[in-house]
Amino acid sequence: MTLRRVAGFIGQHAILVALAVMFSLPFFFMLLQSVMPLDQAKTTALWPRTFEWGNYAEVFDRVPLLTYVRNTLIVCTLVVVGTIVSCVPVAYAFSHLRWRGRGVVFVLILSTMMLPFQVLFVSQYQIFSWLGWLNTLLPLTVPAFFANAFSIFLLRQFFLTLPTETLDAARVDGAGEWKVLWRVVVPLAKPGIMAVAIFQFLFAWSDFFGPNIYLSDEENLTLAVGLVRLNTAAARLGESNLTMAAAVMFVIPLIAIFFFAQKIFIEGVTLTGSKG
Amino acid sequence: MLSPWLIGFLVFTLYPIVNSLYWSFTVKRYGAPARWVGLANYELLFTNDDLALALRNTAYLALIGLPIRIGIAMLAAALLVRPRRGNGIYRLLFYVPAVVPAVASGALFFFLLKEGGPVSSLFGLFGAEAPLWFGDPAWAKPALIMVGTWALGDTMLIFLAGLVDIPRSLYEAAELDGAGRWAKFRHVTLPMISPVTFFVLLTGMIGVLQAFDQAFVFSQGIRPGRLTGEPQGSLLTYAMLQLRQFQDGRIGFASAMAWIMFLITLAITLVMIFTRRRWVHTTNEGLA
Repeated sequence: MTLRRVAGFIGQHAILVALAVMFSLPFFFMLLQSVMPLDQAKTTALWPRTFEWGNYAEVFDRVPLLTYVRNTLIVCTLVVVGTIVSCVPVAYAFSHLRWRGRGVVFVLILSTMMLPFQVLFVSQYQIFSWLGWLNTLLPLTVPAFFANAFSIFLLRQFFLTLPTETLDAARVDGAGEWKVLWRVVVPLAKPGIMAVAIFQFLFAWSDFFGPNIYLSDEENLTLAVGLVRLNTAAARLGESNLTMAAAVMFVIPLIAIFFFAQKIFIEGVTLTGSKG
Repeated sequence: MLSPWLIGFLVFTLYPIVNSLYWSFTVKRYGAPARWVGLANYELLFTNDDLALALRNTAYLALIGLPIRIGIAMLAAALLVRPRRGNGIYRLLFYVPAVVPAVASGALFFFLLKEGGPVSSLFGLFGAEAPLWFGDPAWAKPALIMVGTWALGDTMLIFLAGLVDIPRSLYEAAELDGAGRWAKFRHVTLPMISPVTFFVLLTGMIGVLQAFDQAFVFSQGIRPGRLTGEPQGSLLTYAMLQLRQFQDGRIGFASAMAWIMFLITLAITLVMIFTRRRWVHTTNEGLA
């Protein structure tokens, strides 16, 4: 039994180490490329001849990176706030309120997740163009305040795990539904709400399609679009080292968030409607 | 309480749906009024030479790429679910590629896979000749799948979230019955995680059908310009073909393609929901 245990232990770790090597090597090469001198970055060399940290400074000279960061942070913050403020009440209505047609409307909401964005985006573009919102951050942030199906779904699943008795107790004490929601449900559902917030932040940070069609002026770009523009210019000159340096700076905040938030995320997402 | 969703639904979803459905029966270009042509776009679609190719490529990515991705993500999650020293680091390492943007991972894999690059040197180490990957239509899709598999962090995270919800008592009961590691995985983990697998598979299918960014980055790296999915159309996905119609200003035809995409999604979803009972362990509050 102990021998089997040891074998199992070794087996598990062998798989983990092998996977870890496969998953981290490309990223490691990315780091190495980001500090390579230009002439070397064009070759198949793996190890930088000298560590050219100046590549990172060079990125700031090429593009207004801090402006991109500011825009991205504005978008991310508004998307997170908008999503939470709008989706929490909707999710509450679908988990702890009883009303006629609830099931049908919920299926309707879920089915909008199946709609390809390709069906929607031309009309959406027209709407924003009509509103005079092109080349502003509004098309990227305002829709977040009108709730999205995926976040409603995740929040509802988490809300369902909350004990009905606690909510009923508050109701018996004379609390209205809004009060029950903000005083009882929200504090109890913090992990679920945090998970949705992180999810939306990561998504907004990396989203390329939306910013790419709505933004054009340099001072309005987000990081994801700015990175592609930088790459298009750099690729022509074979400067993959600059693309990689910019990409490393792009992912570092995300890595930091994941590092601190992975536990919240894993606890806050429930798909089965039961927390063990 | 529903009003935020309702307003958003009417303006940003229902109105575009009606619009795009109408356009799919018309000839429409940017800035010009639509002209009704009935089913002509749909008929034209079935005679389009590129359509069969794009559908085949997309099916390849869905039937081969997706199971590999889901399988490895589930394996990694199962190995990392219990709190143990070092697991946080492993989770981080497996997750990081998921946040690397497509342009960067594209440039990165171009470098890794190019002639004389690290991967072909690795092949050389074993005395084998490395394929040309993006230079060869037969190997471009496997290379694309490789990048997709590398970025499986999101899927792993969803599995992790599902795995921690499995009550420990089930494993303890299985241990009392003398179940080994494999038996526990097969008879406890797999059935208990099946609603999550269902969710991941369904959203993954929808994702593959709509995705174009990674294939786009690669094929543009090989031959910039038109969206033809170089090398030799091997990376032309359905979504890329559809995007090409939008770029060419053929909004009516592009809308018809988007609706076919929706119908395929609907068909896959319905098949999955109707066969759900056979392979998904039922829980109190199911998905969809």
